[in-house]
Amino acid sequence: MKPALIIVALIALAALLVPPLLPYDHIAIDWDSVRVGLFTDGHLLGTDDLGRDRLARLLVGTRVTVSVALAAALVALVIGVTWGAIAGWVGGRTDELMMRIVDGLYALPFMFVVILLMVVFGRSILLVFLGIGFVEWLTMARVVRGQVIALKQRPFVLAAEAAGSPARATLLRHILPNVAGVAVAYLMLTVPQVVMIESFLSFLGLGVQEPLTSLGILVNEGAEEMDMHPAALLLPGGVLVALIACLTIAGERFRDRLADAAK
Amino acid sequence: MSDGYLLQNLSIRIGERQIVDDISFSLAPGEIVALAGASGAGKSMSAMTPFGLSAGKASGSAMFDGTELVGLSESELSKVRAEKVGFVFQQPLTALTPHRTVRQHLSEAAMQAGGASPDKAAMVAMLEAVGLTRPDERLAQYPHRLSGGERQRVLIAAALAHGPRYLVADEPVSALDAALRGEIMALLVRLCRERDMAMLLVSHDLAGIEHHADRLLLLDQGRVIESGSARQIATAPATDYGKRLMAATPRLSEPLAELPVTGEIILETEKVTVTFPKPGWQRGRIGAVVDADLSLARGETLALVGGSGSGKSTLGRAIAGLGPMASGTIRWQGDALPQREHRSTEHRRLIQPVFQDPVASLDPRWSVTDIILEPVKFLATIASPPEANGYVEKLLQEVGLPPDFAIRKPASLSGGQAQRVAIARALSANPDMLLLDEATSALDPLVADGVVELFGRLQRERGLSLLFITHDLALARRAAHRIAVMEAGRIVECASREELFTSPRAEATKRLIAASG
Repeated sequence: MKPALIIVALIALAALLVPPLLPYDHIAIDWDSVRVGLFTDGHLLGTDDLGRDRLARLLVGTRVTVSVALAAALVALVIGVTWGAIAGWVGGRTDELMMRIVDGLYALPFMFVVILLMVVFGRSILLVFLGIGFVEWLTMARVVRGQVIALKQRPFVLAAEAAGSPARATLLRHILPNVAGVAVAYLMLTVPQVVMIESFLSFLGLGVQEPLTSLGILVNEGAEEMDMHPAALLLPGGVLVALIACLTIAGERFRDRLADAAK
Repeated sequence: MSDGYLLQNLSIRIGERQIVDDISFSLAPGEIVALAGASGAGKSMSAMTPFGLSAGKASGSAMFDGTELVGLSESELSKVRAEKVGFVFQQPLTALTPHRTVRQHLSEAAMQAGGASPDKAAMVAMLEAVGLTRPDERLAQYPHRLSGGERQRVLIAAALAHGPRYLVADEPVSALDAALRGEIMALLVRLCRERDMAMLLVSHDLAGIEHHADRLLLLDQGRVIESGSARQIATAPATDYGKRLMAATPRLSEPLAELPVTGEIILETEKVTVTFPKPGWQRGRIGAVVDADLSLARGETLALVGGSGSGKSTLGRAIAGLGPMASGTIRWQGDALPQREHRSTEHRRLIQPVFQDPVASLDPRWSVTDIILEPVKFLATIASPPEANGYVEKLLQEVGLPPDFAIRKPASLSGGQAQRVAIARALSANPDMLLLDEATSALDPLVADGVVELFGRLQRERGLSLLFITHDLALARRAAHRIAVMEAGRIVECASREELFTSPRAEATKRLIAASG
């Protein structure tokens, strides 16, 4: 779990801190060196066919992808935990209704929803992560609801009732803290999924808009010129793979550790 | 000596941890030897490890019919198990494969030693031998159709299907109802006698095994503390540990100890009925408790005894306002207590619960101090608000725990300690009555005895009334003034402990007494 998290942290720190230190930003066009190779004229990774610094674009793209993923995962966390906790805690008809709504939303084709949002409201980075968060909270709600129902039957919840604890206090002070671990583990698994979805949308041209960039856009651009500049595809692709693999590994380890602790 | 099973200086480790330390015993053909002791004493390990059925590594010697088991490879051990030994495990609910029928279990078990698949008549005979009714129907059934007792019988039949000369039974009855335990134990003993089979019996229930085993070994922390004839150890143990263990095990034959005097009636229930919707798509409701009438005096202990599913916990929870109630009245000093949702904080203060599973009844994320003060926070009608620190320490001391436990988390408590914290929590709002829902049955005999003693002391000091829910009749006789017997949701008999045992009226009572004797 630790090495994976360290790799993620290094990538995130580089994306956050390095761009201001570079001589070029991700938009500036260097007319003197268009489409140059690695290590030329102060461009460590060369430039693209508009003469923009590839390193700056890679780092900014990573930053955009990671922040969209984090924001969307947080949206999913907030909505999912609230929805799932209420459904599981109240139970009965309310639970039935709330979970059938979740099932209904599951059945909507996700791409269709996102494209529709884009068409109606125009393209914006806000819409991208709203759209993704809109889908990802469904699974979170199911996971949390299951946990809450299992916890509700534990004797300490009954003891809290006997202690005169009002339902709200029991939910906030007994149930939610015990759900937190599972929710965080699931959050850690959601982030790489969102990274993937965001890159996929951007790859298709539905994600963030030029001149802003993201890993998906860079992979798309890189794929077009991979015969001439393999690094243009391999580098953003590599960062993408490293992020997804490390976050998934860390999330799964964390989940397993929780399961062990529960035994 | 080639026949028989002889353990000499056997030690077992798991990793660096020494689980069993230098034990020796023998099992002659046709003999029944019991290994007893608290959990963690190494009884199951000593029984299973030589046959390769545990994670432990054995050293020393285990001679089995002339074969040295220590150091055998897994395939050789598997051959020994398949040919000569049958195993019965604790969990009848999980020890059968859910998707296979009784017939498949039996034929697989019979063929493991290389024999041919038995015909139907042979399998029917196997089931008849373990006392199953309608055996030819049972063959086609899946495990979920059978009750716990029936499953345990099928397991025994499967363990005997290949005609082993030895049987290793690891807590074969402890997952079963009190009434069934005696029956299954008697069955195992009868089968051993009939077939001249030897049995190694692992159990923590001393009262249950002393009539069945020939010899008994008491284990503590991986060592044999005492060994000898079962009857002799049970009646006159030689070692200190044996004496304490015997004293901690309630028996129907023991003299009745003095109990504190009781006061006026404080709690009465009248025709309390609890119903639950029928499972699945069926309409209608099932009566889990039907027309229960009880009364409880100040300073009195009333035991509620019955098998699992008899409705004793459901009734207890309805009284404490922790479960639903369909109809009936619960009166506290003459005033009716409202339904679960409408109980005021004062109502809640009157009756506080202690549950069976001590670890699950404490929130793992809270500190002991927070746990104990939870009722105070909501039910603080006590005259002077307790000064935050001193009060917790005082309660801890009252339940027999050192004050530095206040900062601990539940994960660092043993079962007995956790149960004492749960008791301190129940006491913190200064209740008049405790609901003890199998509060000692998940604990080891010595620890459970300490907790029962604690209840007695609290009752004397605080004048508490106790509703003591248990499946253990001998324990009820030791601890309670009066005993109510429940069966299928009804209270079939309620009498003082002297009267209940000298002249039981209900059939259920007679059966329970017979099973506990």
